[in-house]
Amino acid sequence: MHDLLSKRLPMMLAFFAGMVIIVAFFSGHPTLTNFRSNMQVWVSIIGGFTLLLGVVSITSVNYRRVRKLEKDWPYKLILLISLVVSGGFGIFQGTEAGTVYDWLFQNMSAPMMSSMFAMLAFFIASAAYRAFRARTVEATILLVVAMIVMLGRVPIGQVIYHRLPEITEWIMNYPNLAVQRGIIIGAALGAASMSIRIILGIERTYMGR
Amino acid sequence: MNRYRIAEILTGIDRRIIYLSILLATIIPFLVGFPQPIYVSKESRDLYNWVENIRDGSTILLTFDYYPSTLAEVEPMSRAAIKHCWRKDMKLICMTTVPLGGPSITERVMNDMATNWAVEELGAKKIYGVDYINLGYKPDYKAVLMGMGTSFRDIYPTDFRSVPLDSFPITKNVDKYSDVNFLYIISDNGIVDEWVTIANRQFGIPLGAGVTAVMAPKFYSYLQSQQMVGLLGGMRGAAEYEKLIGSEGMATLFMGPQSLVHLMIIFFILLGNTAYFLGGRKV
Amino acid sequence: MNPADSSLIEMSVAGFLILSIFSFLYKDNPFYRLAEHIFAGLTAGYYVGLIYQTVIVQQLTIPIYREGKLELIFPALLGILMFTRFFDRFSYLSRISLAFVMGNTAGIFLIQQLHGLVLPQTQATIINPLAGSWLLGAVPGGMIIIAGVITTLIYFYFSKEHKGVLGKTARVGMVFIMISFGAHFGYTVMARLSLLIGQVKFVAFDWLPRLIGVN
Repeated sequence: MHDLLSKRLPMMLAFFAGMVIIVAFFSGHPTLTNFRSNMQVWVSIIGGFTLLLGVVSITSVNYRRVRKLEKDWPYKLILLISLVVSGGFGIFQGTEAGTVYDWLFQNMSAPMMSSMFAMLAFFIASAAYRAFRARTVEATILLVVAMIVMLGRVPIGQVIYHRLPEITEWIMNYPNLAVQRGIIIGAALGAASMSIRIILGIERTYMGR
Repeated sequence: MNRYRIAEILTGIDRRIIYLSILLATIIPFLVGFPQPIYVSKESRDLYNWVENIRDGSTILLTFDYYPSTLAEVEPMSRAAIKHCWRKDMKLICMTTVPLGGPSITERVMNDMATNWAVEELGAKKIYGVDYINLGYKPDYKAVLMGMGTSFRDIYPTDFRSVPLDSFPITKNVDKYSDVNFLYIISDNGIVDEWVTIANRQFGIPLGAGVTAVMAPKFYSYLQSQQMVGLLGGMRGAAEYEKLIGSEGMATLFMGPQSLVHLMIIFFILLGNTAYFLGGRKV
Repeated sequence: MNPADSSLIEMSVAGFLILSIFSFLYKDNPFYRLAEHIFAGLTAGYYVGLIYQTVIVQQLTIPIYREGKLELIFPALLGILMFTRFFDRFSYLSRISLAFVMGNTAGIFLIQQLHGLVLPQTQATIINPLAGSWLLGAVPGGMIIIAGVITTLIYFYFSKEHKGVLGKTARVGMVFIMISFGAHFGYTVMARLSLLIGQVKFVAFDWLPRLIGVN
């Protein structure tokens, strides 16, 4: 029984779900495409529960730390309070514009998240200064192209040399496009073979073993 | 002072001095103004022309596929896209595939444009449920995109405010991609690939995208293969679109600081390399 | 946020938190840590509210009660099964839900990659080698694309030792890759700086002037 539930049933389900998608795509029969559509609703609902897994574990870890008064427990308490307030208002008052939930997001979460990413500007500047050296031919090409593009995509570049934007456009549309496409095709082939392995049950590491 | 000494001084610059100069370079152009001729690239013009050629009053699926972290870069695109569409009296069905903040950003931007911009520019408010709707978020983006190909209602039984879709005039006759005239994606992540390979390739809906500069280089490949009609890349792309619709906004304003800060970074790269060549391997 | 619509209190809350985050640039400090923990808590809380409304209410309760779609109880059960991960003895049960989702994802993914990427991308490469702009009046853009795609694929995906003809083509591929990565680097710098400009504008030109009453 354990073997059936832990191994065979999951493998059969993965095979079934994957095949529904593939067969529906090739046949295009309305019954199958409708079935596929219903299956997507199921997957979406399960996906919702999956998102909550992280919340459960962050809550239990921090709750334990507060209860044992471990180092930095006041911070963890603040974390838990923020969680309960935001989640609580989201459940009981709603999530649309004008709710407390929305206020907390717009005036607290969003500015903080923006700032964390904005800080990267400083780090990238400092890294460019320290690490971006023309040590080899390849590195020099990279460096020169980067500078052309950086200038070509801002108005001041056009003032410095009027054809810079066109040169940038050419780089993006030809050499850059070619490399991106090479990467896209190569990665797609790899991803496709991985998908087949999952559907056929050869690849099972996602099951945790 | 020999060249090794100079190289040593240059490599020893404290990181906080670099931080401070970057900060100043972002502030100064706001105060003094900066030349900003904006060259409009082909990919931005293509997107503009495509939307311009869609029949007035059509229905557009507009996505807010971005996290709050990249608001500065992509929100101006959303606003420019909304302006363009509403001037042509298009109906906007909005949605997001981003769980953290996506639906709330949609609420804020749409409500602001509908009540403030629309009144100023078009003389009347845009009405929720008639001119626009916020479908919000649903988990598992692959399943969502695939499911919407057969039925929007299966995936989104209601809008973000939990009201069934049938109660709104805007969604009364819309239930799949083919009921929509264009897919306008604004995104800061890999979801664009999903839209291209599912919504466009499998269900045939034409699409254009505004994306962050980090994402943009990849998508030139989709432009040439005609899987995408046009592309806005980063703040610059937003500024180009603002120029095309003749309504300069935040992105155009930001082009000044963007210029000076780029010069500053290039200056630091050159300085670092000067140190490298002066000092050789010694420093 | 739209500064024009926000009250001074709202702007000050945002401004204080922004400065707290930025204070990390100087060094780690209690303001940064406070902001960091508030952020983590609010984010987790955001998910709770979002999933409750969009999944529990909109995708389950409303369709089950109003439209009688009783079959939706099954995905709800599969979703709940995911939580067995927290109990060692029953954690294997979560594989059932996970495998269903993975199979579905793999099926979609497979079609996406082959039908959505490999075919159209290859087609667009070979369809017209003489298309596109010309470089120095000699090489058409289409040829550059073909050469770039092939040499990039060779550089990245041929595990055979890069010697002889293969080595030379791989070296050309390397040049193409460096051009593209250079462009990518330039774009990335641009993106990060744009975000900084946005935050600086809010703090220095929207919030602070209002706080000290200049505006």
